[in-house]
Amino acid sequence: MLKVAIVGCGKIADDHASQLKRIPNCRIVAACDREPLMARQLCERFPITQNFSDVAEMLRVTKPDVVHVTTPPESHFRIATLCLENNCHVYVEKPFTLCAAEAAQLIALADKRALKITAGHDLQFSHVSRRMRQVVYSGFLGGPPLHIESYYCYELGANPYAGALLGDKRHWVRRLPGKLLHNIISHGIAHIAEFLTSNSPTVIAYGFTSPHLRRVGETEIIDELRVIISEEDRTTAYFTFSSQMRPAVHQLRLYGAKNGLILDHDTETIIKLRGTRYPSYVEKFVPPVAFAGQYLSNLVGNLRLFIENDFHAKSGMKYLIGSFYRAIVEGKPLPVPYREIILTATIMDRIFSQLDTQSSRPKHFIDQGQQTALTCG
Amino acid sequence: MNQEDKFIIDNRDLILVTGATGFIGSKVVTNLLSRGFRNVRCLVRSARRVQQLEACVEAHRQTARVEIMYGNLLFPADCIAATKGVAVIYHLAAGAGEKSVPDAFLNSVVATRNLLTATLQQTSLKRFVNTSSFAVYDVGKKRGRVLDESCPVEPHPGVLRDAYEFAKLKQDAIVFEYAKEHIVPVVTVRPGYVFGPGKPAISGRVGIATFGPFLHLGGSNLIPFTYVDNCADAIVLAGLKPGIDSEVFNIVDDDLPSSRQFLRLYKRNVRRFKSFYVPHAVSYTFCWFWERYSAWSEQQLPPVFNRRRWYTYWKRTKYSNRKLKTLLGWLPEVPMAEGLTRYFESCRAGEQNA
Repeated sequence: MLKVAIVGCGKIADDHASQLKRIPNCRIVAACDREPLMARQLCERFPITQNFSDVAEMLRVTKPDVVHVTTPPESHFRIATLCLENNCHVYVEKPFTLCAAEAAQLIALADKRALKITAGHDLQFSHVSRRMRQVVYSGFLGGPPLHIESYYCYELGANPYAGALLGDKRHWVRRLPGKLLHNIISHGIAHIAEFLTSNSPTVIAYGFTSPHLRRVGETEIIDELRVIISEEDRTTAYFTFSSQMRPAVHQLRLYGAKNGLILDHDTETIIKLRGTRYPSYVEKFVPPVAFAGQYLSNLVGNLRLFIENDFHAKSGMKYLIGSFYRAIVEGKPLPVPYREIILTATIMDRIFSQLDTQSSRPKHFIDQGQQTALTCG
Repeated sequence: MNQEDKFIIDNRDLILVTGATGFIGSKVVTNLLSRGFRNVRCLVRSARRVQQLEACVEAHRQTARVEIMYGNLLFPADCIAATKGVAVIYHLAAGAGEKSVPDAFLNSVVATRNLLTATLQQTSLKRFVNTSSFAVYDVGKKRGRVLDESCPVEPHPGVLRDAYEFAKLKQDAIVFEYAKEHIVPVVTVRPGYVFGPGKPAISGRVGIATFGPFLHLGGSNLIPFTYVDNCADAIVLAGLKPGIDSEVFNIVDDDLPSSRQFLRLYKRNVRRFKSFYVPHAVSYTFCWFWERYSAWSEQQLPPVFNRRRWYTYWKRTKYSNRKLKTLLGWLPEVPMAEGLTRYFESCRAGEQNA
């Protein structure tokens, strides 16, 4: 039975506690938050017996096997380091750290102490993401993806979190190097990083504050981002983050030498795109029918998962936690390879280094990757 | 100020209103100024809606000092600055609209605790008005059909309560703890459903449109409406009247319409849409089934519909404002018919501008 502790009792900690309840052979032994009331409220709503306001004390008293770090990102590195130094395996929520240098340092420390660490890229383990992986590795694309498009949008206006962020100049999100983007885009970037082979891709980023935000007097927050990522002579990728475009899609599009596919996180569907065309007018009639069939098949699959009681909102998180725990207990491979964690952080570093987050004026630069030092600015 | 009014402060004493730019907060500020209070500090978190607040207080600029103080109750230093020298605090800021329990808890409970802690440094404080909600009552356990201040509050807030209700229950608990342990002079007000221009949504007590068409769940239930100006008036009195420390007041207007009457008037005055009446037995069974399924499926569907919610929002209940009238001398200045007319006019204008 793994003893688990949660550090940071905000919104995402609820998701962790909910999913941990569904995972066998583990129990939450402690919740910790700098604000004692926050730790207490989590313990009151979930079967957690002990609450703390000091991480070191919690580690000393409860001696957990695994710690889930669900604090704001600026404290991830410090808390994860402390946990590793106290011989705990660590699950760090996204974004893993503030920069790639911190990510590499944490992973090196975990390796040195023969411990495991993972990043909360749970979207990559949703049902639809796992199905996508099966399709890709079955060779459907005709080899590795040649081009990737990742969309990760966010409806800023409709969100209470956004209201708190926009209304508060001291909000912790504003202290992150990439501000709002830093807290949100890692899911979409991690999707791309999974299929890149280079550790140092070229990144071209273009970001700006949307007219909508400028109208409400916001000049610091960049809420529109377009990124081009490329590896020499191989894979290219586009990443799009938008707070304004509708629908606010969360999609991954992969194009290979033979075929392509579209993964939609909102509808949990995968649509395969045929690389070859039907002759003449047949192309206008047969593919729409085939698409209808694919959507129907997705519907049936989703219904089957629902009936089997395996279609929870955070099923990806449950799968990721379960896989991480199997890596700890049974020595199985880690669900998120370390290389992918560092690459995701590297791409994010390069995006943020190109965005003048102090200005609302559109700017773009080209970063050749190798020139960027991996230190937090 | 009326000479006959006997209040615990005089009109030069400093009054703090948190959440002053909110739907009720701005009306509380206006009410205080109209009553002749000349020293009001408005704590606001952001510049959003400050212009509207300034427009409300503009008429009183010559006679009153209205300070707009920017601050966040999550920062203890801001709380200390805001409470400095205050005689009465109207605490209206809350984590309303939050869907997650931790967010609502943080913005209601932690914020309130910070504010209460700051008040301990102030010897000038004579009254702390805590704004709670009808949602804290355990309606399933009340005796008889009338919901008044004697109804028990929910004993197990962690179970099947939504984020706002959980946070309000915990906020009340911490306020009562401070009142008891630190002798903070607290009065708690629990408004029903506050309506008025600027709040276009139809109360969930009437029905929901979650599944597409509007499902009318209220039927012949009375809706515990309180018009925003009347509500603000009651809140203001709760901060001023002597001899009511530790009291709790439910705020609800007279002449409450039934859900069916309200819906008919809304359709006639604002816009026509299709609605389907769901009998109470059906809605109760639906909530029971949803609750059971949610528990069985380990919340594959979260328990957004459950029996506790049914009792709180859709059980046939009557409401009393007797205590409010008796102890505060409150009377709703805006009659229900007039309040509804103003509300519908505002909704219609909103529809036309949409």
